[in-house]
Amino acid sequence: MIALLVGGVLGWTGGTKLFGRNTRAQAADTVLERRLGGLPRATVALRAVGAAELLVALVLVALAWPLVTGAAAALAGAGFAAYLGYARATAPDASCGCTARDKAPIGVRAFARAGFVLAGGAVVLADGLAAGGVPAPAGGPWWEALRDRPGAALGLLAAGTALAWLLFGDPDRAVRLPLRRLRLRLFGHPLHGGPGRAGDPAAVPVEGSVELLERSLAWQTVTHVVRSGLREHWDEDGWRFLRYTGLHGTAEGAGRPVSVVFAMDAKAGLDSPRPPVIRVGVVDEETGARVDVAAGAAAGRERPGALLGEGA
Amino acid sequence: MNDATGSTFDRRRFLSATALGGATVVGATALGAVDPDAAFAAPTPPLDPAVADTSFAEGLITGIEGGTLLHVAGSYGERHRIQLTNATSIWKLHPTTAADIETGDGLYARGLEMPDGTVAADAVWVNIVNLDVTVRGIGKDRLALGYHGGELIGRIVPGRSTASYAGAALTDDLSGLRMGQQALVLGAWRPKDGSVDIARITVGH
Repeated sequence: MIALLVGGVLGWTGGTKLFGRNTRAQAADTVLERRLGGLPRATVALRAVGAAELLVALVLVALAWPLVTGAAAALAGAGFAAYLGYARATAPDASCGCTARDKAPIGVRAFARAGFVLAGGAVVLADGLAAGGVPAPAGGPWWEALRDRPGAALGLLAAGTALAWLLFGDPDRAVRLPLRRLRLRLFGHPLHGGPGRAGDPAAVPVEGSVELLERSLAWQTVTHVVRSGLREHWDEDGWRFLRYTGLHGTAEGAGRPVSVVFAMDAKAGLDSPRPPVIRVGVVDEETGARVDVAAGAAAGRERPGALLGEGA
Repeated sequence: MNDATGSTFDRRRFLSATALGGATVVGATALGAVDPDAAFAAPTPPLDPAVADTSFAEGLITGIEGGTLLHVAGSYGERHRIQLTNATSIWKLHPTTAADIETGDGLYARGLEMPDGTVAADAVWVNIVNLDVTVRGIGKDRLALGYHGGELIGRIVPGRSTASYAGAALTDDLSGLRMGQQALVLGAWRPKDGSVDIARITVGH
């Protein structure tokens, strides 16, 4: 039965490597790609490995010479383990390329897979070595085992298949996600809506204010001055202040460093019904004097912003 | 950032007064840069002739000299030296200061190239990542995010993490997230454990 199990697993992994459409994707990021100097070569190598796996699988399932087939499977397992050890030592972040879906770096699971094949091969081999009175651990060819003791054979096959699925399949996706969904259904959504940080349901996160600002005419009006991203922000008396730094080109040519400060309703966001009212102040960083960037802009080109007079 | 020292307070009061006394602009427009998404936009040549050409750098910080000069190894083998000035904005999940930058962090920087090859940074985004993920788990303080066949942890930072649902305004209410949703996560990667602090998660985009 072990031979059938290991043969099935090797047949599946080998088949997907040899005939699969995404062998190329599978070979990407593996140590093969780095060692062989390119993805095309790595793909060919991976397909060759797949062909070898398929061959071992076929002889395991079809032939009744446990000495040969067991040795071949054990050798394949040992080869995988050696390859994994080498890959892990030389390129720890490389993916192993063992099965189709797994893009994770080489870890315990990858070694467990190689160990599974190695152990299976060893059991089959031991079966062949067992001479005379020594009981064969695998109990002869699988078709004989199935015929003589169908219950035990099927039980062993089921247990082995479950183990193989744990190692080669994607039990995480199959088990963990439904469990998480169930937990959400039972205990409700852990992230509550309602009042924000300050206990105010109408509070707008700073990013929301920035989003509104960057889609505003105020932003367009002074965007030729702003050079930096958001430097700092603070709230005061229901206003939210956002400070940027920038350069203000003067008639002499050299730009002067300025602070551009926007003031807006702390509760205004993109979804607010009325268009935002945003105040802009530009201050010379060194002298602290107010700079009138709109006047400078008017000389020579038109600004899209509608300046509606000076504030109080 | 929130150190309410006297000088910070006075300076802010002064700046507040300037802003409130400044011009008032009413109206919205669909145009304008989006920050910090701007870190991912190609450096477009500025329309304004007063603004000199902008250069752009990304990579991992290999060393910090004097607190303000960053040595950066780019992803394609190039080297950058990035000078932070007192006009540089620094983003690391939120606007912060140069003191928060550590060796080993990744960065995107936009600035002006100086004659000596140093980039004088206008804006620096530290550890910024923009990931296309699937929501695979929702917890009190973290999300499990399916990414490239693996899973990574997205940390929810109170007061910082925001969500945008189907193009609506940003909100700090993350209760609209559902299992299995496709999402775009903008956040700050943590080099120590590979998790991501979520700045913004966009679903239904």
